[in-house]
Amino acid sequence: MVESAKPVPPIWCPGCGDFGVLAALKKAAAEMKVPTHDLVLVGGIGCSGSIHNFLEINGIHALHGRLLAQAVGVKLSNPHLTVVAAGGDGDGYAIGMGHFMHAFKKNASIIYIAMNNETYGLTKGQASPTSQIGFEGNIERPFDAILTALSIPAPNLIARTFSGDPKTMIQVLVEALKFTTEGRGFAFIEDLSPCVTYNDTYKLWREKVLDVSKSPGYDPTDRKAMFRICLETMEAGRIPIGVMHRPKEPAQEGLEMKLLGDAAGPARSEIAIAPNLGAYQKLLAGLA
Amino acid sequence: MTTPAARTTPLVETSSPGAGPVAPQLTDVSVMIGGQGGDGTLTVSDLLGRYFRKRGLYVYLSRNVLSRIRGGHADASVRGSQAAVAAVKTEVDVLVAFDKEAVDIGKAELAPHGYILYDSTTFQVDLPNATGFPFATLVGGPLGQPIFKNTAAYGALSVIFGFDAVETRAVIEDRFKRRGGEALEKNLKALEIGRKAALETPGLADRFSIADGDAHDFIMTTGNLAAAMGFVVGGGRFFAGYPITPATEIMEHLQKYLPAFGGVVRQAEDELAAVNMIIGAAYAGARVMTSTSGPGLSLMTEGIGHAGAAEIPIVVADCQRVGPSTGQPTRHEQSDLSHLANLGHGEFPRFIIAPGTPEECFLLTAEALNLAERWRLPVILLLDEALCQNATTSRRFELEKVRVDRGERLSGEAVAALTQYKAYAFTDSGRSPYAPPGTPGVWAEITGNEHDEWGHVTVNPANRVRMMKKRMEKMVKARDELPTANLFGPPDAKVGIIAYGSTTGPVREAQGLLSARGQSTKFLQPRTLYPVPVHEIDPFLQSVDVCYVVEHNYTGQFARLLRETMPWHFQKLRSITKYDGANFRAPQIIAQIKEVA
Repeated sequence: MVESAKPVPPIWCPGCGDFGVLAALKKAAAEMKVPTHDLVLVGGIGCSGSIHNFLEINGIHALHGRLLAQAVGVKLSNPHLTVVAAGGDGDGYAIGMGHFMHAFKKNASIIYIAMNNETYGLTKGQASPTSQIGFEGNIERPFDAILTALSIPAPNLIARTFSGDPKTMIQVLVEALKFTTEGRGFAFIEDLSPCVTYNDTYKLWREKVLDVSKSPGYDPTDRKAMFRICLETMEAGRIPIGVMHRPKEPAQEGLEMKLLGDAAGPARSEIAIAPNLGAYQKLLAGLA
Repeated sequence: MTTPAARTTPLVETSSPGAGPVAPQLTDVSVMIGGQGGDGTLTVSDLLGRYFRKRGLYVYLSRNVLSRIRGGHADASVRGSQAAVAAVKTEVDVLVAFDKEAVDIGKAELAPHGYILYDSTTFQVDLPNATGFPFATLVGGPLGQPIFKNTAAYGALSVIFGFDAVETRAVIEDRFKRRGGEALEKNLKALEIGRKAALETPGLADRFSIADGDAHDFIMTTGNLAAAMGFVVGGGRFFAGYPITPATEIMEHLQKYLPAFGGVVRQAEDELAAVNMIIGAAYAGARVMTSTSGPGLSLMTEGIGHAGAAEIPIVVADCQRVGPSTGQPTRHEQSDLSHLANLGHGEFPRFIIAPGTPEECFLLTAEALNLAERWRLPVILLLDEALCQNATTSRRFELEKVRVDRGERLSGEAVAALTQYKAYAFTDSGRSPYAPPGTPGVWAEITGNEHDEWGHVTVNPANRVRMMKKRMEKMVKARDELPTANLFGPPDAKVGIIAYGSTTGPVREAQGLLSARGQSTKFLQPRTLYPVPVHEIDPFLQSVDVCYVVEHNYTGQFARLLRETMPWHFQKLRSITKYDGANFRAPQIIAQIKEVA
């Protein structure tokens, strides 16, 4: 056994919602039997983005907001890898918003876990894109990632989980791992992950979360119905959780499948001159 | 057929002006074609270029277009020469004007013997050396559309220059055969209409003749195409970019060629995404590149710094244009060097590599991939608009000169033989072996945070110092692997010139003109700009009395960098700068060299 980078203890405050994601991720990966050397975790900037340091996997710590661009680059480079991007609401919905929207459209088979705590914890509690009106003087209406995700007509898996409900989180992660392994595309999971220091919402969220699968007319293949259910749940003062979209499209909708099919991918293709000599000569001979 | 002039005096016209029984023979000819965007000026220059190539001439095509799809004035120029030139010729021999503006712009550049051919359908030119043809009406009647006037103009030019009729026609056939049928037929008709009109105009036929050259088996290419080819054969397999002039063609060429080699090309949502996508792809083990220009480079700066800190091998081609801000997207400048040398917040190593010709674009793009992977850092491939977009005759690219060297890249077997794998291991070479994710038995943490050898985040001061040295010293340790400078001219010359990129072309031509006048100069063309190759430039500067640094920007950025690095040469260095959006012509350089004026 070769000694390589070992996990370090989490930097999170005791009780942080991000511990729930860490535990669920370990269990889901173990259940799916993903070899640790084939698992890549792309971390964003913020407390949540340090999660890759705490697991026995390959980690890359991306720039603030850029984790999805890097994660898509990893997947398209080596589609054999299981790629999970993880960051916070500031990272994903503020500085990274452009990449967030395009991740749905690109539909590469990666999982994105956005740990939403409605604040910038690491910089000590400023208002974030999802902060409620009144939090730290916030006067802007909060952004809702699920409604946004549902508005993009792409065959993505869309779900929201709650760190106070680890059982559902593991189920959703297992589904997301299956989804991406089958090359079906982008799996977005927003996890409600309270910041116990700057915005402790455990109690509030436990009261407000509502499993949409129990709502009348629940059909995660029906985008229109799910948008209505989520909106009505929010208007009733509750927070919808569960699987919000499960696409009808068959397997191989993922960007890497469309580009590469069964090919090895850029990272694993043969680049020595000798095996490519004939093709290179032909390419250059085509120049006139 | 005429005998090519001796190579040593390539730029001299061999006959005197003035009408006589013998047409003035040119060994170096320039035709400028101007009109409204959509008039097909580029088609005329392309057709002439094709004809010149058939006659063994070296060809240089340049263009002056606006940043708009149609309309507005645009002009193109084509040069055919017995000498291997890579610059616009100073004087225009024949100007083809499809609009009035072409005459206004072009007449000042006309040679004393120069001639204007204009479309008299919509405007008149009252100059003794101008002849009007109602091209639009001439072709519009029989062909139904005036758009074939460009081919008619080519026909008229073929008469003026006394082109071989069969080869003139063959050029049209080559150019339009792929579109076939009607397009070919109509263009052939337009050609004949243009020829007939010119033949029926007294005094126009055989006004000039052009001496043949001996440049055969050359290809016609731009730096952008060459860089794309270099990327493919250099093992590049992942490219992400965002459309931006004058870099876009690199992405477009790769979209066409790379998938056949198992590669992936993606057009990203912005330059932030493009650079981060290649970072992710490189981390996963692919050879990667992006290409951009000024505004995109500003956005990519964040990612390039990240690659420097996290030791991720990326290549960024910067196709320089006029800046700052949107500047002049379609115009030429070399004004990013100061930014690139100091690029990013904090300090990290980078190599800036600057090819001067398409051949060098091909080879150095491939080499940039080696350097990036061996030293695990960002490599900037510094290009410029003229190099990127002006098409020139070039020797065929030499695949034998390309090598693939991945440095200490670890295979699965190599990893299995290790007892420890640290992604940022301290080593004597300064290079840390790397095993990409997916390598059984090991995993790695890669991060832009300061880290220890394992990739764990740390603020330990001793580690910080050691890691900074590890990264920064790459710029010293890699010295002997970086592309070397080219030196042109006699060793004993006391007037030195330094220039990089496409400025190499006009400087070489200026040297030829000076040499013909008995003035010797020597020219150093560094192909690594950063880290500044002091070991090459210092001895060069020691050997001359004065050295002109020729570049396209206001502040003399390269000269400043040289003064900063080698202050002991401060007095010897003089700047020749140009920042009007057009690339140098040889006489503009000569005019500023005081020692020979």
